[in-house]
Amino acid sequence: MLRFLARRSLGALVIILLISAITFLLFFALPSQPALMSCGKNCTPDAIAVINKNLGLDQPVPVQYWHYMTGIFMGRDFSVGHCPAPCFGYSFSNQQPVWGTIVDRFPTTLSITLGGAAAFLVVGVGIGMLAAAFRGTWVDKFFSSLSLVGNALQIYFVGVVALAVLVSGLHWMDNPAYYPITRNPGKWFMGMLIPWLVLSIIFIANYSRMTRSQMIEQLGEDHVRTAKAKGLSRRTVFFRYAWRGAMAPIVTIFGIDLGSLFGGAIITEFTFSLHGLGRLAVSSVNETDLPTLMAVMLVGCTAIVVANIVVDAAYALIDPRVRLA
Amino acid sequence: MNPLTPLNPPATRTRPRSGARLRAAAVALAAGALVLSACSSGGGGGGNGGGKDEGPGADKNKASNYSIGTKADSTGPAPEVPGAKKGGTVGVLQRDAFQHLDPGQIYYSDMLANQMLYNRSLTSYKFDDQGKVKLVGDLATDAGASSDGGKTWTFTLKDGIRFEDGSPITSQDVRWGIERLYASFETEGPQYIPQWLSGDGTAFRKALPDGPYKGKHLPSSVLDTPDDKTIVFHFLAPHADAPFATAMPNIGPVKAAKDTQQKYDNAPFSTGPYKVADYKNGKSLTLVRNDQWDPKTDPIRHQYADRFEISVGHQFPDSTRRFLADQGSDKNTMSYTNAVAPEMTQKVLDQPDTKSRRFLEIQPYVDYISFNMDRLKDVKVRKALAYAMPNGQILQQMGGAPAGTIATNYLSPAMDGYKPTDPYGKKAKPAGDTDRARQLLKEAGKEGQEIVFAYANTDTWQKVAVVITQALERAGFKVQKKEIDANTYRSAIAEVKNKFDIYRSSWGADWPVSSTVVPPLFDGRQIADGGQNYGHLDDPAVNKEIDRINAIPDVKKAAPEWQKLADKIFTDDVPGVPTFYNNQFSLWGSNLGGVRYQPVYGVADPTGVYVK
Repeated sequence: MLRFLARRSLGALVIILLISAITFLLFFALPSQPALMSCGKNCTPDAIAVINKNLGLDQPVPVQYWHYMTGIFMGRDFSVGHCPAPCFGYSFSNQQPVWGTIVDRFPTTLSITLGGAAAFLVVGVGIGMLAAAFRGTWVDKFFSSLSLVGNALQIYFVGVVALAVLVSGLHWMDNPAYYPITRNPGKWFMGMLIPWLVLSIIFIANYSRMTRSQMIEQLGEDHVRTAKAKGLSRRTVFFRYAWRGAMAPIVTIFGIDLGSLFGGAIITEFTFSLHGLGRLAVSSVNETDLPTLMAVMLVGCTAIVVANIVVDAAYALIDPRVRLA
Repeated sequence: MNPLTPLNPPATRTRPRSGARLRAAAVALAAGALVLSACSSGGGGGGNGGGKDEGPGADKNKASNYSIGTKADSTGPAPEVPGAKKGGTVGVLQRDAFQHLDPGQIYYSDMLANQMLYNRSLTSYKFDDQGKVKLVGDLATDAGASSDGGKTWTFTLKDGIRFEDGSPITSQDVRWGIERLYASFETEGPQYIPQWLSGDGTAFRKALPDGPYKGKHLPSSVLDTPDDKTIVFHFLAPHADAPFATAMPNIGPVKAAKDTQQKYDNAPFSTGPYKVADYKNGKSLTLVRNDQWDPKTDPIRHQYADRFEISVGHQFPDSTRRFLADQGSDKNTMSYTNAVAPEMTQKVLDQPDTKSRRFLEIQPYVDYISFNMDRLKDVKVRKALAYAMPNGQILQQMGGAPAGTIATNYLSPAMDGYKPTDPYGKKAKPAGDTDRARQLLKEAGKEGQEIVFAYANTDTWQKVAVVITQALERAGFKVQKKEIDANTYRSAIAEVKNKFDIYRSSWGADWPVSSTVVPPLFDGRQIADGGQNYGHLDDPAVNKEIDRINAIPDVKKAAPEWQKLADKIFTDDVPGVPTFYNNQFSLWGSNLGGVRYQPVYGVADPTGVYVK
């Protein structure tokens, strides 16, 4: 298992490095003029020169990339001051090192992602199992149609309806907001509840349908029939034999979903006026704040890669054959 | 003169000064449909503008409402707001992140509103519930004294004014504040004073290329501080409206020891009733009481609430929903510039309890359709266009009465000296006077004249283009529509040699004196690529008249002259037709009192707000 993890981590590192280089180059391939865009309407050529120098845009691209990458581990000095490690660059639009902004926004994204993912995984898989266990009955039909409805909905619709009903209409809850869990876990939970709820409504559909079909498939497999024939209890057969087999593909999909949520649930954040990495990405595109955008992309990529390693490990636990691959 | 309201796509129309307008389009590109709702046109519902039917804010924008205050008017404390209480936290919901906190960089309405809480300038605007606006001394004892025919202006600082650390504010600090505007990083603020002191365009920067940061200062023949209390400006030419220019947020003190240059944008050192406690750029700003601020020195601001917690990223539907639901902490919440979302207008109007917590007022921003006089040389054709223009239908597409008011002449009702003249009968015929237009076109022998009509490819303008095209074709024109990418629209029409006949433009004044409107829009000597004279009017008589009025030393006497000149241009030269005046429709939580309209910035004023 350790060797498996080590191998995966090394591969991940290479991927992250590659992504960082590609992202970096992509920005320079684009016809954008960061200095001009951050200069405002009364811009002068002098001002552009100053910004270019400050951003290091007058140096060759590979040199800029080298400085960027070494800065992450060793910190960097800008003409506007020192940027301590991990230095993901200096935002001239915010006038501060990028890392501080990332650290400020990441907990919101983490909260949305982990809470939402836990909710939709548990409820989605639960519903799918129920439907599979009671295949063909009204339970199955009810949940199947429900998930179909969920699948057809979008966050910006469900989110607004949830706010209109739960907050503005019934006054059951406050507006969603992020409070640090370290300061007030209760407030954190309540503040995040609606986003989790809405995220799970959207995602549950996929998970329940997939779980249902996987379970039904597994329940028809030879080893399950054998287990039944051995006289094992229905519960043991269902959970230990069928469920375990059904989970493998679901875990794979979950890894992908989790990763993309880590990169920032943009629509969710906009719907609920939350400030996570997604909104930061949009606003930095907006302001041509390349250093911030780079950092968000790198953090997002890293999160996706890490989530995939974790999922791979889980996969390996569920299905020992994977370790050999 | 600076371009004040470059052509914003209608998406951000309710905040025409917003620098975010081009960026809004960029976000839309970046994030697809999700932010389209974010940028959808603002403006709201029908009016309770002073309870009058004739138009929102009509009462508050009469010429007689503007005056220069006396020394007594400039003396604090500000008159108490009836029923005001101390304490509590005021929440502020804003759509866009503040681009700047540094007063030197502030130009747009959301930041103008915000800085009123922590920043004071030499002069400022004091206004009452009836909308009477007085220009008074803020840090200065009065609105300044001129000599030398208006070329020299002297301001004296009040006693007892202090920075947030308790150190007294001296004329040296004001000098520093002005000299730092010469530094290369200070690019976004208005540049009237530096330009008047040291030269037009960007030439002024040569007078002090590094700002005050390398030990150099402006000579006393330009900017003089003979003692700790006195500041003397020696302008290159007479400027009767200097006290208005010194009311811009960047003409105030900055303490040299606290000037972190670019980083000052994150931590401005307060001179107002509140100071920055916490700032997360793009997310939130917390202002707390500044105990060094002395109300006796301030004729405008109060310090009722303990804190202001400003949070950004709230789209118009989100803020409107919260204000409508009016529960929990949202009861204590307002917005400087978020308008009522158009789709919720009716709901707001139908909910009786909103009546006492909303306003609908005219902003100092005007929308025009400019006529390119280099291509449309026959004045009869231009007059026919002016008659045919369906102002009412255009406004309807923009969101109807809550979004704006039909314009009848070039000047906004928010300008000093404004008169509701209506040479083309727009009030009587909001859909355009087709018969008159047709007749004029016939007289000119130009029936079937082809018109190339350029507009930005936003949703709203695609709709507006349809009503304009139909109206012009009814009058006998043939219209060729030219859609231009919203991001490049402004630079396309600002090219002098552009290939279009008519196009939308817009303009907002920096202060309610029309010297900030007529010269940039209609002075033939200002025709240049990127300039604002979109109609390319170059009439020597007009230019001469502009010079004459600019030289009138009394702003109040000049005001009616500007209106006369604007009307003459509209009647005789017709380089364009005004279509509508922008409105601001604001709503706030029921537990707040003292929320008022600030007519100069066109925003909700936070300085007298209290928690009930």
